[in-house]
Amino acid sequence: MAPRHPATRHPAHQSRARRIPARQPHRALLATVSALSLMMVAAAPSASAEELVVATFGGSFLTESETCHFAPFTEATGAEVDAVVGNTTQHAASIRAMMGSSEYDIVYLDDSAAQQLKNEGLLSVIDKDALTAAADIDPRAFDADGAYVVFMTGATAIAYNTDLVDTPPTSWADLFDEKWSGQIAIGDVTGTSGWQFLLAVNKMNGGTLDDVTPGIEAIKPLAQDSVTLYTQADQLIALFERGEIAMAPWYPDRAGSAADQGLPIAIAYPSEGAVGIRPTLVIPKGAPHPELALKYIDTVLSKSGQECFAEKKYAGPVNLTVELSDKAAAIVPYGPTLQDLWFLNPEETAANLPTWIDRWQREVTR
Amino acid sequence: MRRLSGAALVTPLVLVLVGVFVGPLLVMLPTSFHPYVPGQGIGTSWTLENYTVAFTDGYYREVIGRTLWMGFLVTFIALVIGYPLAYFMARTTRTWRAVATLLVMFPLFLNLVVRSFGWIALLSNRGVINTLLMDLGLTTKPIRMMFDMTGLVIGMVHIYLPFMVFMLLSSISRVPRDVEDAASTLSASPSRVFWFVTLPLTAPGILAGCTLVFVLTISALVTPRLLGGPTFKVMSTLIYDEFLVKLDWPSGTAFAFILTAIALLVIWGANRVARRVAGGAA
Repeated sequence: MAPRHPATRHPAHQSRARRIPARQPHRALLATVSALSLMMVAAAPSASAEELVVATFGGSFLTESETCHFAPFTEATGAEVDAVVGNTTQHAASIRAMMGSSEYDIVYLDDSAAQQLKNEGLLSVIDKDALTAAADIDPRAFDADGAYVVFMTGATAIAYNTDLVDTPPTSWADLFDEKWSGQIAIGDVTGTSGWQFLLAVNKMNGGTLDDVTPGIEAIKPLAQDSVTLYTQADQLIALFERGEIAMAPWYPDRAGSAADQGLPIAIAYPSEGAVGIRPTLVIPKGAPHPELALKYIDTVLSKSGQECFAEKKYAGPVNLTVELSDKAAAIVPYGPTLQDLWFLNPEETAANLPTWIDRWQREVTR
Repeated sequence: MRRLSGAALVTPLVLVLVGVFVGPLLVMLPTSFHPYVPGQGIGTSWTLENYTVAFTDGYYREVIGRTLWMGFLVTFIALVIGYPLAYFMARTTRTWRAVATLLVMFPLFLNLVVRSFGWIALLSNRGVINTLLMDLGLTTKPIRMMFDMTGLVIGMVHIYLPFMVFMLLSSISRVPRDVEDAASTLSASPSRVFWFVTLPLTAPGILAGCTLVFVLTISALVTPRLLGGPTFKVMSTLIYDEFLVKLDWPSGTAFAFILTAIALLVIWGANRVARRVAGGAA
């Protein structure tokens, strides 16, 4: 074939050209692949000057982040965003492993993990004065020492199947109703909704954060009767779809997205108060582009960034100037449901979470 | 000269092993002797507690015991299924051997996660098997086959069977047919030939296969995570949780070292037995 394609006999590529069918697109592809793999090896620790490395969450969260935050950020600064997908604890573990010389510029974390890393001295201070949106943000969104900023309000509430459940649940106690026995799914303690539901039930039964015994005892029969102990939030979608479950402690944003896809799911806020989730943004120590990182935070907190994320991802806004559509307002924690949210102190959560996990694994699911 | 070239030949492997295995292991070792304070991080004082708790806490003892039991079950079943298969492959015609080899190897071409998901599709409460059983009216309620030992052992045997078969195959192929023929001419029945000649001669292969499968089984992570679910913990999933869920690196590291120690102990023990078996045969 060589005579028909003399162009391929470039000396530098001779050995490759002989094996690869010698057409230009293939060579371009080959060159791209080898260049990419080289870049991946060489560029991992020091991304190019105009690339912001953002460790974030996957699935629809990432998709909507691309629309609502990455794109406007790139437009404003000219910098690309390189997303690294994982969950809170994976990101926290990475930050700890990088020991103060982070490859990430921005990391998405639950507030208790952010608190934990702050205590370990692994986070930079976020300069509030450098944020143009700061004045519009709920002051409680900022950590007192500036280590993290809450960018949305989520919740663990009750999702229910509208085909099976006629009267929307009004209390956590409804999940324990005999009527729904065998049609409930709850989250495993390793996921946010798992330990938050445990704490909500614990509080309802008179327990405290230091003593979760009432919660453990109350939840044990429910856990054994549960269709599954989900570890990934989206596991519930299939169960709702097949009508296997009537109710589950779940997240309004996930339920909202699922309902948009035509599933018979609605969200109810229990009268005891749903449990608040406060995902945060942090800049780890040693982040390569701290100034760009601040600009990214500004984009996320901006009115348009918050509005977009609230409407598309059902994330409760922390920017107080945001006005929601009726549809979004019914799903996200907003107004009275926001007022009723039970926010746990991240310091206490970080200190107690391993104990709650231990007790759950030993007493509930053993 | 010969020794020198031998050293040169193993040097790359040794360097890689020291660099990417022994090195990181040694780096992790001190971590396992530090206390972990939730909310604060890894302390700087020294403690043995991360190790002692593995033996004093009933939960951890249960997980360690379960891991070893699972390793034993998987190894035993893989041997019982694998030996006749390997025997057949060693003694059949070329064509059949090629077909059988392909069939045994085929699962190895598939990604581990895909294979485990395949088992979920078969074994879950609404899976193929349970749906079939209920449609046929053989059962009214789904039989629980996942998130317990049954599902885990089925999945693991499927995944590690090829390793057992290929270890046994090479061992059985090496048995000189003359020896078996000699036993037959001395009027030993076929079963006697098998039990007293073939089997003992393949003992090193059995031992090697069992060691490999056992060590692979007790350290597997993906399959136990998928088929064991959040509740049925073995050591590898426990270590994963300690690191990535509780962020408790010290105790995760300690468990990792305990698991490594168990694996090394098994390999060491198997080597000793193998030497004795080989010594007896010689």
